[in-house]
Amino acid sequence: MYGGGNTFEGIKTDSLASEDPVQMAAFEARIARGEKIEPTDWMPQLYRKQLIRMIEQHAHSEIIGALPEGTWITRAPGFKRKMALMAKVQDEVGHAQLLYSAAETLGKPREQMIDDLINGKSKYSNVFNYPTFTWADCCFISWLVDAGAIVNQLANAKGSYGPYCRALDRICAEESFHLKYGHHCVIYLASGTQNQRDLFQEALNRWWPPMMHFFGPSDKISAHTEILMRWKVKMGTNDDMRNQFLDMYVPKIWELGFTIPDPLLKKNPETGTWEYTEPDWEEFKRVINGDGPCNKERLQVRRIAEERGRWVREALKAPQDKYVMPLA
Amino acid sequence: MKSLDPRVNRLPQITGEKNKKPLDQFGTYEVFVQPKEGKPFQHEGALHAPNLEMAYVLAKEAFTRRFTCSSVFVVNTSDVFTSPTTDGHENVYNQIDDVKDGSGKIEYEIYQLLKRGKQHQLAGTVVAGSPAGALAKAKSLFRSDKIVYNVWAIEKNKIRFTADEEKDLWHTLPEKKFRDASDYKGGDKLKEFLERHKI
Repeated sequence: MYGGGNTFEGIKTDSLASEDPVQMAAFEARIARGEKIEPTDWMPQLYRKQLIRMIEQHAHSEIIGALPEGTWITRAPGFKRKMALMAKVQDEVGHAQLLYSAAETLGKPREQMIDDLINGKSKYSNVFNYPTFTWADCCFISWLVDAGAIVNQLANAKGSYGPYCRALDRICAEESFHLKYGHHCVIYLASGTQNQRDLFQEALNRWWPPMMHFFGPSDKISAHTEILMRWKVKMGTNDDMRNQFLDMYVPKIWELGFTIPDPLLKKNPETGTWEYTEPDWEEFKRVINGDGPCNKERLQVRRIAEERGRWVREALKAPQDKYVMPLA
Repeated sequence: MKSLDPRVNRLPQITGEKNKKPLDQFGTYEVFVQPKEGKPFQHEGALHAPNLEMAYVLAKEAFTRRFTCSSVFVVNTSDVFTSPTTDGHENVYNQIDDVKDGSGKIEYEIYQLLKRGKQHQLAGTVVAGSPAGALAKAKSLFRSDKIVYNVWAIEKNKIRFTADEEKDLWHTLPEKKFRDASDYKGGDKLKEFLERHKI
């Protein structure tokens, strides 16, 4: 998902048994050769289902992710920051559109995905259910949440589904702007007054736990995960992604003289992996199931936007148009 | 709903579940981008829009904001006539029948997929009487030893092209800072900060 901790549906083993073994072998051989799967190719139902779910969650996360930052556009410090943030938020919404189109090539219409989002049927990244109290919270998202997203998306861009990979290539290029912009914002706060430094330190304290949740709980390596990895739907374990993120960004946070609110956080020099306080997965589950500080607000804002835009859509609709699935 | 954002608090409240009817949605349009002057157009993706002109505007926003681009065009998905797709053992042109469609004078743009996982690219323009005739013409004109996986024929007058006077859209003015990721020069500020705080 925009970030990670994709929630995949449990596997129904009989769904695989009913697939054509010859087609299945050719499909798996194609992925093993490093070729992409395209919309017109044969694919197992499970592959289609899990990919729709993953790309859709990613798209929803881009849409919802625009809200906590979008709320700061009018209050961003200075004209330059307002312009940059506005462009960034537009990028995020554009990403969602690219992703909806990619998911749509698998057979689920965009409007159905949007309906599933506002009815609470589909998930999005948990991290956006937290509020942005100050400008520094917004900077934290622009820098570190986007950094986490890039770690995930660069991995997913090497996945097996052609349209998703091509969308991700475009998205990653834009996210690299966001990362530079976010880092830029944080450096300014860090090298400013004590007040500015405190502002970011407080944001860091608030956002560190959701950031650790971002990549999802440790995967149990089940037959299910193993298949998704073989099919290059899931490109790495949640722990791998989290570790990679910590490896790249903890030194950059420390460099600016901020304290990460986890006394156990350190890199084990022998294993090369990071050790940290186990995130509170009960909270993660609670929030993902709807009981976070902003879940209701996020969906309500989407619902209102949908409802208030209805007359525009109605006015523009051309009833003679027949719906066709996009090509690639 | 109580939000930190006063504007959210001012939003009118809506009640009840008002789902849209299934598939109550805009049509899909295919987007083609020319990355540089002189390079062929290539397919980039799809989007939803109420009509061709809006599709063009949205394509500009969604596909050409951050990348080098000299031109973009859109066409309704149902105006793209597609050939079968081969699995790579055979040239798709072998599967295209020769069609005699008389003295048709319609111009079609031909797009070929030359590599799996890549995008369709412009091969050229043919004149024919029907889309099937256009593919047959393409077969006689563009077929070579190179494997082609899939071909599209698009009637030229169904396409919303970029007019010459619209091309300024993508001309970045030199004073537009922060257009490139590298314009965010945090490095100097960071260096200065680290100097100040040297232990």
